Amino acid sequence: MPLSRRALLYAGLATTATAALGGTTAGCSVPNGSTGRNMTLWYWTGGLSDKVVADAKKRFTDVSLKPAQIGGYFKSKLLTTMTGRAYVPDITGLKGEDMASYLPNAEQFIDLRTLGAEQLKDRYLPWKWAEGIAPDGSMIGFPIDTGPVAHYFMPEVFDRAGLPTDPAEVGKEMDTWEKYLAAGERLKKKVRGAHMVIDALTIYQYMIAQGTLRYVDAERRFIGDHEHVRRAWNMAIDAYQRGLCSRYQSGTPDGNAAIENGLLPSQIGASWVAGDLKLTVPKTKGKWRVAALPGGPANNGGSFLAITKSCRKPELAFEIVTWLLNADNQTRGFTDATLFPSTPASYQQAAMRAPDPFFGGQATIDVFGPTAEKIPIAYHSPYDYPLDQAVSDELRNVNALGKDPRRAWKDAMAKCRRIADHLGVLT
Amino acid sequence: MTGIGAAPTLGAPADDGVRSVPARAKARSVLGYWRLYLAISPFYLLFLCFGLIPVGFSLYLSFHRWDGLGSMEYAGLSQYRYLLSDAQFWNSLTNTLIIWAIATLPMLFIALVTAVMLNSAVRFKNFYRFAYFLPNVTSVVAVAIIFTSIFSTNFGLANAVLQGLGLDQVAWLNTDWGIKISIAVLMTWQWTGYNALIFLAGLQTIPSELYEAARVDGAGPVHTFFRITVPMMRPIILFTLVVSTVTGLQSFTEPQVLLANTNNTSTFAGGPGNSGQTMVLYFFQQSFDNNDFGYGAAIAWGIFLVVAIFSIVNWRLVQRGEK
Repeated sequence: MPLSRRALLYAGLATTATAALGGTTAGCSVPNGSTGRNMTLWYWTGGLSDKVVADAKKRFTDVSLKPAQIGGYFKSKLLTTMTGRAYVPDITGLKGEDMASYLPNAEQFIDLRTLGAEQLKDRYLPWKWAEGIAPDGSMIGFPIDTGPVAHYFMPEVFDRAGLPTDPAEVGKEMDTWEKYLAAGERLKKKVRGAHMVIDALTIYQYMIAQGTLRYVDAERRFIGDHEHVRRAWNMAIDAYQRGLCSRYQSGTPDGNAAIENGLLPSQIGASWVAGDLKLTVPKTKGKWRVAALPGGPANNGGSFLAITKSCRKPELAFEIVTWLLNADNQTRGFTDATLFPSTPASYQQAAMRAPDPFFGGQATIDVFGPTAEKIPIAYHSPYDYPLDQAVSDELRNVNALGKDPRRAWKDAMAKCRRIADHLGVLT
Repeated sequence: MTGIGAAPTLGAPADDGVRSVPARAKARSVLGYWRLYLAISPFYLLFLCFGLIPVGFSLYLSFHRWDGLGSMEYAGLSQYRYLLSDAQFWNSLTNTLIIWAIATLPMLFIALVTAVMLNSAVRFKNFYRFAYFLPNVTSVVAVAIIFTSIFSTNFGLANAVLQGLGLDQVAWLNTDWGIKISIAVLMTWQWTGYNALIFLAGLQTIPSELYEAARVDGAGPVHTFFRITVPMMRPIILFTLVVSTVTGLQSFTEPQVLLANTNNTSTFAGGPGNSGQTMVLYFFQQSFDNNDFGYGAAIAWGIFLVVAIFSIVNWRLVQRGEK
């Protein structure tokens, strides 16, 4: 039969139509989670040690472990997948800053207590463990890393200002924010163009992080106008008014240049800031030391692993999670990806005690370890984040735009009440 | 985004033809053409899946409270009521309009001048066309990172030039107007070449007799530009204006990347004083950063309304031009 052009066209159309129909019917049978022998593990680049993950793949052969590094905005991709109930990963990372927003939806994850998590509790930092537990008592997040905050400083510049240069001494002589700001005054007088703090927000943020309360309490009441917030706000404003805060912005070319030139010789930041410094200002190698944070220990960052309800083999998944995150492997995570362990046993291991040439051979674990162990258990509400934005943005307006501090506080509180009211928080 | 402007005009003539035919004949003719409808169906199916259903869902969502994972809670009109009284939303609307105005108007003018020069270029014609179009196909993220350096206070190129002229430094990314101008400059740089190419296509349709007549009458290049080129190009200028409005009112990546490092709690806050927070940035901050999807959807419909109003105004302008 000769094939006419028209027949060919219709044949092509029919094929397209079949494919389209096939596509829609297949759409109805999209699997909820992994398929076959697969067990999927979602994390982000640098969220786990790739070497440990590769070893887990070889070690657990009852399933075929499929790790996937999800790029882009992790939380929104995970939410989309879970809400769409299609290809939901068996095991997934949850970022620490998003944790409070996952906790109210604990029913989407498997309660790790039912898999025997309680037996391992004493091997992990208690405050970190508590952050993975939902209001109903179920445990959804298993601790990966933490972000103990410390005071990074440049002894050479501190010396010029007549400030102590030994980490232990710096920690002792600047153990409160008041003393830290007083040291900032000396620095300002002795070293031209230098500032103690990059911006007022830094002081505010870490003072809040040092406390056990944020903006909303467990009874869903707004507490953002209480003493703990006021105190942090006033300290930050004090630092700003005394001219101790720079107008640089971290991560910008200007900010990095100022750090390199010793104009910002004091950096308050979590353990992972060490990695940032090594990357952005490599020329300052050997010029840094690490001391304890003024005002007491605090945490910033760190994440969790969770097992979703779509997981078909929760017992095995739990075995994989606990193996990935045992003390030995967390130490490897520190070496491979600067993930600061949530397992205190790691702090004694040789790999973590190794002197760091970037910090002039200091064993920084002597500062980070005790800090991590002393961080208080705090209550995190899913509503903290939008409320914190309102206050922090106003503080930034003071620091960057010169807004009147009293007006800024009033505006911040007005915004907070509005947002709280909108979110159903009692004011 | 740029294709949106052309779509409505395509459907219009076909519609008029069908209306005059009786209903039964109309049904028959629709069935009779099933193969043609099938042939164009992939677009509509995809549009249904990835366009219409999400749009409908976002409307439904805007009447609810939802954190993206748990159960939805009916909220009536409260999201919209909150939107109307939300100073930050109105601030983002003003920002968007200001940035759009200081980006679009100079951009269209520069583009037109560029197009005229390209049109009369003798050598390396294709090279110039390629060079002017290049910014448009470069990744906005990469461009924004470069612009962050250009506008940085102490070591930026912009301030180096100002100082070279004996002027004071400007904290570009740390002041209200500095932020808006920086974003506008970035957008201008990126879209001038694209619009110049559209203008170039328009210029080539202007009969050369007009120019010859003008030259005979003794008109200079400036006179010719304002008396012949601009009036003849009116419909094309309006087209680029519509497209730039639709794109400009939805600007997102430029401010997001440019201001990501301004010590904000959220990278979608748009710098100090929320001076660079556009409507879409605010929408993104509320939905994906704060997990307030219901309110995010309400903002999205607010944006829709604003874009719709501007499109109607633009459309009216185009219509008047054609009468």
